[in-house]
Amino acid sequence: MTCREFKHSAASLTLWELSHPGDEQLIHAEECPKCGSWLDRQQMLAASMQALQARTASRQAGPQVERALLRMFRQDPFEATQPVAAHRSAPIAFRLSRFFEVGAYVAVAAAIVVGLFLGVRLLEERSLRAPVQSQSSPAPAPQAPAVVNVAPKLEPPVLSAKRRVASRSAVQNRFVKASGATAGISESDDPEYVALMFCDPLSCSTDAQVVRMEVPATGATADHDTQTQLADVVVGYDGVVRAMRIVNPNLN
Amino acid sequence: MLTELTDEQLLSQALDGDEDAFTVLYRRRQGPVYRFALHMSGSSHVAEEVTQDVFVFLIRRGRDFDSNRGALGAFLFGVARNYVRRSLERNYSDAMVNSSADDEAHALVIEDDPGDGIARRQTSTALWKAVLSLPEHYREVVVLCDLQELTYAQAAEALGCAIGTIRSRLHRAHDMLGKKLQHSAAVAPGRVSRVTARCAS
Repeated sequence: MTCREFKHSAASLTLWELSHPGDEQLIHAEECPKCGSWLDRQQMLAASMQALQARTASRQAGPQVERALLRMFRQDPFEATQPVAAHRSAPIAFRLSRFFEVGAYVAVAAAIVVGLFLGVRLLEERSLRAPVQSQSSPAPAPQAPAVVNVAPKLEPPVLSAKRRVASRSAVQNRFVKASGATAGISESDDPEYVALMFCDPLSCSTDAQVVRMEVPATGATADHDTQTQLADVVVGYDGVVRAMRIVNPNLN
Repeated sequence: MLTELTDEQLLSQALDGDEDAFTVLYRRRQGPVYRFALHMSGSSHVAEEVTQDVFVFLIRRGRDFDSNRGALGAFLFGVARNYVRRSLERNYSDAMVNSSADDEAHALVIEDDPGDGIARRQTSTALWKAVLSLPEHYREVVVLCDLQELTYAQAAEALGCAIGTIRSRLHRAHDMLGKKLQHSAAVAPGRVSRVTARCAS
Protein backbone atom coordinates (compact mmCIF):
# COMPACT_ATOMS: atom_id res chain seq x y z
CA MET A 1 0.00 0.00 0.00
CA THR A 2 1.33 3.38 -0.94
CA CYS A 3 0.95 6.53 1.09
CA ARG A 4 -1.61 7.80 -1.36
CA GLU A 5 -3.68 4.66 -1.05
CA PHE A 6 -3.35 4.83 2.71
CA LYS A 7 -4.64 8.41 2.79
CA HIS A 8 -7.40 7.59 0.37
CA SER A 9 -8.61 4.65 2.40
CA ALA A 10 -8.30 6.58 5.65
CA ALA A 11 -10.33 9.47 4.28
CA SER A 12 -13.31 7.19 3.77
CA LEU A 13 -13.23 6.01 7.39
CA THR A 14 -14.79 7.73 10.33
CA LEU A 15 -12.79 8.71 13.35
CA TRP A 16 -14.07 5.65 15.21
CA GLU A 17 -13.18 3.32 12.37
CA LEU A 18 -9.66 4.74 12.36
CA SER A 19 -9.28 3.51 15.93
CA HIS A 20 -9.34 0.01 14.53
CA PRO A 21 -7.65 0.22 11.14
CA GLY A 22 -7.30 -2.71 8.81
CA ASP A 23 -4.22 -4.90 8.56
CA GLU A 24 -2.95 -3.28 5.39
CA GLN A 25 -3.20 0.15 6.91
CA LEU A 26 -1.44 -0.98 10.06
CA ILE A 27 1.37 -2.52 8.07
CA HIS A 28 1.82 0.64 6.05
CA ALA A 29 1.69 2.80 9.19
CA GLU A 30 4.49 0.76 10.66
CA GLU A 31 6.56 1.04 7.51
CA CYS A 32 5.94 4.75 6.85
CA PRO A 33 6.74 7.05 9.78
CA LYS A 34 4.77 9.93 8.29
CA CYS A 35 1.58 7.92 7.86
CA GLY A 36 2.22 6.23 11.21
CA SER A 37 2.45 9.59 12.89
CA TRP A 38 -0.74 10.71 11.20
CA LEU A 39 -2.53 7.55 12.29
CA ASP A 40 -1.30 8.03 15.84
CA ARG A 41 -2.68 11.54 15.88
CA GLN A 42 -6.03 10.36 14.61
CA GLN A 43 -6.17 7.58 17.16
CA MET A 44 -5.31 9.97 19.93
CA LEU A 45 -8.00 12.29 18.66
CA ALA A 46 -10.52 9.46 18.58
CA ALA A 47 -9.67 8.47 22.13
CA SER A 48 -9.99 12.05 23.32
CA MET A 49 -13.24 12.45 21.45
CA GLN A 50 -14.63 9.34 23.09
CA ALA A 51 -13.60 10.65 26.48
CA LEU A 52 -15.25 13.98 25.87
CA GLN A 53 -18.35 12.33 24.51
CA ALA A 54 -18.59 10.04 27.51
CA ARG A 55 -18.25 12.92 29.93
CA THR A 56 -20.92 15.05 28.31
CA ALA A 57 -23.31 12.21 27.49
CA SER A 58 -25.36 12.80 30.58
CA ARG A 59 -25.59 16.57 30.21
CA GLN A 60 -29.03 17.91 29.44
CA ALA A 61 -31.15 20.97 29.98
CA GLY A 62 -32.45 21.65 33.45
CA PRO A 63 -36.03 20.93 34.52
CA GLN A 64 -36.84 24.63 34.56
CA VAL A 65 -36.55 24.66 30.76
CA GLU A 66 -39.14 21.91 30.45
CA ARG A 67 -41.47 23.69 32.86
CA ALA A 68 -41.15 26.95 30.97
CA LEU A 69 -41.80 25.22 27.66
CA LEU A 70 -44.85 23.39 28.94
CA ARG A 71 -46.21 26.61 30.37
CA MET A 72 -45.72 28.23 26.99
CA PHE A 73 -47.26 25.25 25.24
CA ARG A 74 -50.42 25.56 27.34
CA GLN A 75 -50.67 29.25 26.65
CA ASP A 76 -49.87 29.12 22.96
CA PRO A 77 -50.28 25.64 21.50
CA PHE A 78 -48.88 25.50 17.98
CA GLU A 79 -50.48 28.48 16.38
CA ALA A 80 -49.12 28.29 12.89
CA THR A 81 -50.82 31.42 11.70
CA GLN A 82 -49.69 33.48 14.62
CA PRO A 83 -46.73 35.73 13.92
CA VAL A 84 -43.58 34.80 15.73
CA ALA A 85 -43.08 36.93 18.78
CA ALA A 86 -39.62 37.93 19.79
CA HIS A 87 -38.36 35.60 22.44
CA ARG A 88 -36.57 36.61 25.55
CA SER A 89 -33.11 36.07 24.12
CA ALA A 90 -33.66 38.32 21.13
CA PRO A 91 -31.75 41.58 21.16
CA ILE A 92 -33.69 44.68 22.01
CA ALA A 93 -33.20 46.14 18.54
CA PHE A 94 -34.64 42.93 17.11
CA ARG A 95 -37.69 43.26 19.32
CA LEU A 96 -38.20 46.85 18.28
CA SER A 97 -37.71 46.17 14.60
CA ARG A 98 -41.45 46.20 13.95
CA PHE A 99 -41.75 49.53 15.69
CA PHE A 100 -38.89 50.94 13.63
CA GLU A 101 -40.41 49.56 10.47
CA VAL A 102 -43.74 51.29 11.13
CA GLY A 103 -41.88 54.47 12.08
CA ALA A 104 -39.94 54.37 8.84
CA TYR A 105 -43.15 54.05 6.82
CA VAL A 106 -44.70 56.98 8.67
CA ALA A 107 -41.59 59.10 8.12
CA VAL A 108 -41.57 58.38 4.40
CA ALA A 109 -45.29 59.20 4.12
CA ALA A 110 -44.79 62.46 6.02
CA ALA A 111 -41.88 63.41 3.77
CA ILE A 112 -44.02 62.80 0.68
CA VAL A 113 -46.87 64.93 2.06
CA VAL A 114 -44.53 67.78 2.99
CA GLY A 115 -42.87 67.62 -0.42
CA LEU A 116 -46.22 67.79 -2.20
CA PHE A 117 -47.33 70.70 -0.02
CA LEU A 118 -44.16 72.66 -0.68
CA GLY A 119 -44.33 71.94 -4.40
CA VAL A 120 -47.90 73.19 -4.63
CA ARG A 121 -47.02 76.30 -2.68
CA LEU A 122 -44.07 77.00 -4.93
CA LEU A 123 -46.15 76.63 -8.06
CA GLU A 124 -48.83 78.92 -6.65
CA GLU A 125 -46.27 81.57 -5.79
CA ARG A 126 -44.76 81.45 -9.24
CA SER A 127 -48.10 81.71 -10.92
CA LEU A 128 -49.07 84.68 -8.75
CA ARG A 129 -45.80 86.57 -8.99
CA ALA A 130 -45.99 87.75 -12.61
CA PRO A 131 -49.50 89.30 -12.45
CA VAL A 132 -48.74 91.03 -9.17
CA GLN A 133 -45.57 92.57 -10.55
CA SER A 134 -47.26 93.72 -13.68
CA GLN A 135 -50.00 95.26 -11.61
CA SER A 136 -47.52 97.02 -9.37
CA SER A 137 -45.49 98.48 -12.24
CA PRO A 138 -46.32 102.10 -13.01
CA ALA A 139 -48.66 102.62 -15.84
CA PRO A 140 -47.39 104.65 -18.72
CA ALA A 141 -48.54 108.20 -19.00
CA PRO A 142 -49.62 108.52 -22.58
CA GLN A 143 -50.62 112.14 -22.27
CA ALA A 144 -47.33 113.26 -20.75
CA PRO A 145 -44.51 110.90 -21.57
CA ALA A 146 -41.73 110.87 -19.04
CA VAL A 147 -38.65 112.71 -20.06
CA VAL A 148 -35.49 111.75 -18.32
CA ASN A 149 -32.39 113.85 -18.71
CA VAL A 150 -29.86 111.29 -17.71
CA ALA A 151 -30.33 107.60 -17.84
CA PRO A 152 -27.08 106.16 -16.51
CA LYS A 153 -28.45 102.65 -16.32
CA LEU A 154 -29.13 102.60 -19.96
CA GLU A 155 -26.69 100.93 -22.15
CA PRO A 156 -25.90 102.84 -25.32
CA PRO A 157 -28.01 101.54 -28.09
CA VAL A 158 -26.32 98.78 -29.93
CA LEU A 159 -27.08 99.57 -33.42
CA SER A 160 -25.33 96.58 -34.82
CA ALA A 161 -27.21 94.14 -32.71
CA LYS A 162 -29.75 92.44 -34.83
CA ARG A 163 -31.38 90.42 -32.19
CA ARG A 164 -34.88 91.65 -32.19
CA VAL A 165 -37.40 91.60 -29.51
CA ALA A 166 -39.46 88.55 -29.91
CA SER A 167 -42.69 90.41 -29.61
CA ARG A 168 -41.63 93.41 -31.51
CA SER A 169 -44.86 93.84 -33.38
CA ALA A 170 -46.85 93.55 -30.18
CA VAL A 171 -44.66 96.12 -28.50
CA GLN A 172 -45.01 98.41 -31.42
CA ASN A 173 -48.72 98.08 -31.27
CA ARG A 174 -48.68 98.93 -27.61
CA PHE A 175 -46.39 101.82 -28.31
CA VAL A 176 -48.80 103.13 -30.85
CA LYS A 177 -51.60 102.79 -28.35
CA ALA A 178 -49.63 104.39 -25.54
CA SER A 179 -47.78 107.20 -27.12
CA GLY A 180 -48.47 107.16 -30.80
CA ALA A 181 -51.14 109.80 -30.61
CA THR A 182 -48.97 112.21 -28.66
CA ALA A 183 -45.85 111.63 -30.57
CA GLY A 184 -47.57 111.57 -33.84
CA ILE A 185 -45.66 108.63 -35.05
CA SER A 186 -47.27 106.18 -37.30
CA GLU A 187 -46.22 102.59 -37.50
CA SER A 188 -45.20 102.99 -41.10
CA ASP A 189 -42.45 105.51 -40.48
CA ASP A 190 -41.37 103.92 -37.25
CA PRO A 191 -37.74 102.83 -37.27
CA GLU A 192 -37.08 99.41 -35.89
CA TYR A 193 -36.47 98.70 -32.26
CA VAL A 194 -33.04 97.41 -31.39
CA ALA A 195 -32.74 94.83 -28.70
CA LEU A 196 -30.19 95.51 -25.99
CA MET A 197 -27.66 92.87 -25.19
CA PHE A 198 -27.21 91.12 -21.91
CA CYS A 199 -30.90 91.22 -21.13
CA ASP A 200 -33.39 88.45 -21.07
CA PRO A 201 -35.46 88.61 -24.19
CA LEU A 202 -39.08 89.46 -23.71
CA SER A 203 -41.58 86.85 -24.46
CA CYS A 204 -44.92 87.49 -25.94
CA SER A 205 -46.71 86.86 -22.69
CA THR A 206 -44.73 89.34 -20.59
CA ASP A 207 -45.88 92.88 -20.07
CA ALA A 208 -43.69 95.70 -21.25
CA GLN A 209 -44.04 99.42 -21.32
CA VAL A 210 -42.75 101.90 -23.82
CA VAL A 211 -41.42 105.16 -22.46
CA ARG A 212 -40.16 108.07 -24.49
CA MET A 213 -37.11 109.65 -22.93
CA GLU A 214 -33.90 111.46 -23.67
CA VAL A 215 -30.78 109.40 -23.72
CA PRO A 216 -27.14 110.49 -24.13
CA ALA A 217 -26.30 110.68 -27.77
CA THR A 218 -22.88 109.11 -27.41
CA GLY A 219 -22.55 106.18 -29.66
CA ALA A 220 -25.84 106.98 -31.22
CA THR A 221 -26.42 109.28 -34.04
CA ALA A 222 -25.42 112.63 -32.56
CA ASP A 223 -22.08 114.28 -33.14
CA HIS A 224 -21.42 115.78 -29.69
CA ASP A 225 -21.18 114.11 -26.31
CA THR A 226 -23.37 116.59 -24.51
CA GLN A 227 -26.25 116.19 -26.82
CA THR A 228 -29.17 113.99 -26.03
CA GLN A 229 -31.30 112.00 -28.25
CA LEU A 230 -34.98 111.28 -27.95
CA ALA A 231 -35.72 107.59 -27.85
CA ASP A 232 -38.49 105.17 -27.12
CA VAL A 233 -37.37 102.50 -24.73
CA VAL A 234 -39.11 99.26 -23.98
CA VAL A 235 -39.07 98.64 -20.25
CA GLY A 236 -39.76 95.17 -19.06
CA TYR A 237 -41.85 94.22 -16.07
CA ASP A 238 -38.68 94.10 -14.01
CA GLY A 239 -37.67 97.69 -14.86
CA VAL A 240 -34.87 96.70 -17.18
CA VAL A 241 -34.75 98.27 -20.60
CA ARG A 242 -34.93 95.61 -23.23
CA ALA A 243 -35.02 97.54 -26.47
CA MET A 244 -35.00 101.01 -27.76
CA ARG A 245 -35.34 103.00 -30.90
CA ILE A 246 -34.18 106.42 -31.82
CA VAL A 247 -37.01 108.78 -32.53
CA ASN A 248 -36.65 110.70 -35.67
CA PRO A 249 -36.00 114.32 -34.57
CA ASN A 250 -37.70 115.65 -37.61
CA LEU A 251 -40.93 114.10 -36.56
CA ASN A 252 -40.56 115.20 -32.96
CA MET B 1 -47.45 4.09 24.04
CA LEU B 2 -46.29 7.55 23.09
CA THR B 3 -42.66 6.61 23.50
CA GLU B 4 -43.01 4.14 20.65
CA LEU B 5 -44.06 6.82 18.20
CA THR B 6 -41.60 8.44 15.85
CA ASP B 7 -40.59 12.05 16.19
CA GLU B 8 -42.79 13.05 13.29
CA GLN B 9 -45.82 11.30 14.78
CA LEU B 10 -45.21 12.95 18.13
CA LEU B 11 -44.93 16.33 16.48
CA SER B 12 -48.11 15.72 14.57
CA GLN B 13 -49.97 14.92 17.78
CA ALA B 14 -48.40 17.86 19.54
CA LEU B 15 -49.55 20.09 16.70
CA ASP B 16 -53.06 18.98 17.55
CA GLY B 17 -52.53 20.19 21.11
CA ASP B 18 -51.41 16.97 22.78
CA GLU B 19 -49.20 18.11 25.64
CA ASP B 20 -48.02 14.60 26.48
CA ALA B 21 -46.77 14.10 22.95
CA PHE B 22 -44.87 17.35 23.17
CA THR B 23 -43.38 16.33 26.50
CA VAL B 24 -42.21 12.99 25.12
CA LEU B 25 -40.78 14.68 22.07
CA TYR B 26 -38.99 17.23 24.22
CA ARG B 27 -37.51 14.65 26.54
CA ARG B 28 -36.34 12.60 23.62
CA ARG B 29 -34.71 15.44 21.72
CA GLN B 30 -33.61 17.99 24.28
CA GLY B 31 -30.46 16.10 25.27
CA PRO B 32 -28.84 16.05 21.83
CA VAL B 33 -29.86 19.64 21.19
CA TYR B 34 -28.48 20.71 24.56
CA ARG B 35 -25.20 18.87 24.04
CA PHE B 36 -24.83 20.21 20.55
CA ALA B 37 -25.18 23.76 21.86
CA LEU B 38 -22.89 22.96 24.78
CA HIS B 39 -20.14 21.61 22.56
CA MET B 40 -20.52 24.47 20.13
CA SER B 41 -20.51 27.26 22.68
CA GLY B 42 -18.70 25.80 25.66
CA SER B 43 -21.27 27.34 27.95
CA SER B 44 -24.06 25.55 29.79
CA HIS B 45 -25.93 28.84 30.05
CA VAL B 46 -25.96 29.27 26.28
CA ALA B 47 -26.84 25.61 25.84
CA GLU B 48 -29.93 25.91 28.05
CA GLU B 49 -31.01 29.08 26.34
CA VAL B 50 -30.58 27.57 22.90
CA THR B 51 -32.47 24.44 23.92
CA GLN B 52 -35.38 26.52 25.10
CA ASP B 53 -35.30 28.67 21.99
CA VAL B 54 -35.30 25.63 19.72
CA PHE B 55 -38.42 24.18 21.31
CA VAL B 56 -40.11 27.56 21.47
CA PHE B 57 -39.47 27.71 17.75
CA LEU B 58 -41.04 24.28 17.42
CA ILE B 59 -44.09 25.40 19.36
CA ARG B 60 -44.58 28.46 17.23
CA ARG B 61 -43.43 27.20 13.83
CA GLY B 62 -43.90 23.47 14.11
CA ARG B 63 -46.16 23.40 11.09
CA ASP B 64 -43.28 24.64 8.95
CA PHE B 65 -41.53 21.30 9.37
CA ASP B 66 -41.71 19.17 6.24
CA SER B 67 -40.90 15.51 6.84
CA ASN B 68 -40.19 15.06 3.14
CA ARG B 69 -37.16 17.28 3.45
CA GLY B 70 -35.53 15.38 6.29
CA ALA B 71 -35.84 13.99 9.78
CA LEU B 72 -37.04 16.05 12.69
CA GLY B 73 -33.77 15.49 14.53
CA ALA B 74 -31.77 17.07 11.73
CA PHE B 75 -34.31 19.88 11.56
CA LEU B 76 -33.85 20.61 15.26
CA PHE B 77 -30.06 20.57 14.90
CA GLY B 78 -30.39 23.05 12.05
CA VAL B 79 -32.53 25.35 14.20
CA ALA B 80 -30.14 24.94 17.12
CA ARG B 81 -27.20 25.76 14.90
CA ASN B 82 -28.81 29.03 13.90
CA TYR B 83 -29.58 29.95 17.50
CA VAL B 84 -26.04 29.07 18.60
CA ARG B 85 -24.64 31.19 15.82
CA ARG B 86 -26.90 34.09 16.78
CA SER B 87 -25.93 33.67 20.38
CA LEU B 88 -22.25 33.69 19.56
CA GLU B 89 -22.70 36.71 17.33
CA ARG B 90 -24.26 38.59 20.19
CA ASN B 91 -20.76 38.54 21.57
CA TYR B 92 -21.64 38.11 25.16
CA SER B 93 -21.11 34.42 24.87
CA ASP B 94 -17.75 34.90 23.23
CA ALA B 95 -16.44 35.98 26.55
CA MET B 96 -18.26 33.09 28.13
CA VAL B 97 -16.58 30.62 25.80
CA ASN B 98 -13.20 31.58 27.13
CA SER B 99 -14.20 31.72 30.75
CA SER B 100 -16.90 29.12 31.00
CA ALA B 101 -15.10 26.54 28.92
CA ASP B 102 -12.75 26.30 31.82
CA ASP B 103 -15.73 26.16 34.15
CA GLU B 104 -17.28 23.37 32.13
CA ALA B 105 -14.00 21.54 31.98
CA HIS B 106 -13.63 21.99 35.72
CA ALA B 107 -17.12 20.59 36.20
CA LEU B 108 -16.18 17.58 34.14
CA VAL B 109 -13.20 16.93 36.33
CA ILE B 110 -15.38 17.04 39.39
CA GLU B 111 -17.87 14.64 37.87
CA ASP B 112 -15.16 12.23 36.89
CA ASP B 113 -14.74 8.85 38.34
CA PRO B 114 -11.78 9.09 40.75
CA GLY B 115 -10.35 5.97 39.24
CA ASP B 116 -10.16 7.51 35.84
CA GLY B 117 -6.76 8.63 34.65
CA ILE B 118 -5.65 12.22 34.87
CA ALA B 119 -4.41 12.07 31.31
CA ARG B 120 -7.85 11.14 30.08
CA ARG B 121 -9.37 14.13 31.77
CA GLN B 122 -6.65 16.42 30.56
CA THR B 123 -6.90 15.27 26.99
CA SER B 124 -10.66 15.62 26.93
CA THR B 125 -10.34 19.12 28.35
CA ALA B 126 -7.66 19.98 25.83
CA LEU B 127 -9.77 18.53 23.06
CA TRP B 128 -12.79 20.59 24.02
CA LYS B 129 -10.70 23.74 24.00
CA ALA B 130 -9.31 22.73 20.62
CA VAL B 131 -12.82 22.11 19.30
CA LEU B 132 -13.96 25.51 20.57
CA SER B 133 -11.02 27.16 18.84
CA LEU B 134 -11.96 25.71 15.46
CA PRO B 135 -13.69 27.88 12.88
CA GLU B 136 -17.44 27.55 13.16
CA HIS B 137 -18.05 25.48 10.01
CA TYR B 138 -15.41 22.97 11.08
CA ARG B 139 -16.60 22.94 14.68
CA GLU B 140 -20.18 22.09 13.76
CA VAL B 141 -19.24 19.07 11.66
CA VAL B 142 -16.99 17.77 14.42
CA VAL B 143 -19.74 18.22 16.99
CA LEU B 144 -22.40 16.64 14.82
CA CYS B 145 -20.44 13.75 13.36
CA ASP B 146 -17.95 12.92 16.11
CA LEU B 147 -19.68 13.94 19.30
CA GLN B 148 -23.34 13.55 18.32
CA GLU B 149 -22.56 10.59 16.07
CA LEU B 150 -24.74 11.68 13.22
CA THR B 151 -24.12 10.12 9.85
CA TYR B 152 -22.74 12.25 7.09
CA ALA B 153 -26.17 12.34 5.47
CA GLN B 154 -27.87 13.48 8.66
CA ALA B 155 -25.20 16.14 9.24
CA ALA B 156 -25.64 17.30 5.67
CA GLU B 157 -29.38 17.64 6.28
CA ALA B 158 -28.84 19.60 9.46
CA LEU B 159 -26.29 21.94 7.95
CA GLY B 160 -27.92 22.17 4.55
CA CYS B 161 -24.88 21.21 2.53
CA ALA B 162 -23.62 18.28 0.48
CA ILE B 163 -22.28 15.09 1.98
CA GLY B 164 -18.97 15.66 0.25
CA THR B 165 -18.70 19.00 1.97
CA ILE B 166 -19.26 17.36 5.34
CA ARG B 167 -16.65 14.75 4.58
CA SER B 168 -14.01 17.22 3.45
CA ARG B 169 -14.66 19.59 6.34
CA LEU B 170 -14.45 16.77 8.80
CA HIS B 171 -11.20 15.52 7.34
CA ARG B 172 -9.73 18.99 7.52
CA ALA B 173 -11.05 19.50 11.05
CA HIS B 174 -9.49 16.25 12.20
CA ASP B 175 -6.14 17.34 10.86
CA MET B 176 -6.44 20.66 12.66
CA LEU B 177 -7.51 19.03 15.89
CA GLY B 178 -4.72 16.48 15.69
CA LYS B 179 -2.15 19.21 15.32
CA LYS B 180 -3.66 21.24 18.14
CA LEU B 181 -3.67 18.26 20.43
CA GLN B 182 -0.14 17.38 19.49
CA HIS B 183 0.89 20.95 20.20
CA SER B 184 -0.80 20.97 23.58
CA ALA B 185 0.77 17.60 24.37
CA ALA B 186 4.17 18.99 23.42
CA VAL B 187 3.64 21.80 25.91
CA ALA B 188 3.04 19.23 28.64
CA PRO B 189 5.45 16.37 27.89
CA GLY B 190 4.35 14.30 30.82
CA ARG B 191 0.93 14.09 29.31
CA VAL B 192 2.23 12.91 25.95
CA SER B 193 3.67 9.70 27.15
CA ARG B 194 0.52 8.73 28.99
CA VAL B 195 -1.77 9.55 26.13
CA THR B 196 0.43 7.83 23.60
CA ALA B 197 0.66 4.78 25.77
CA ARG B 198 -3.09 4.76 26.14
CA CYS B 199 -3.68 5.06 22.43
CA ALA B 200 -1.18 2.38 21.67
CA SER B 201 -2.85 0.06 24.11
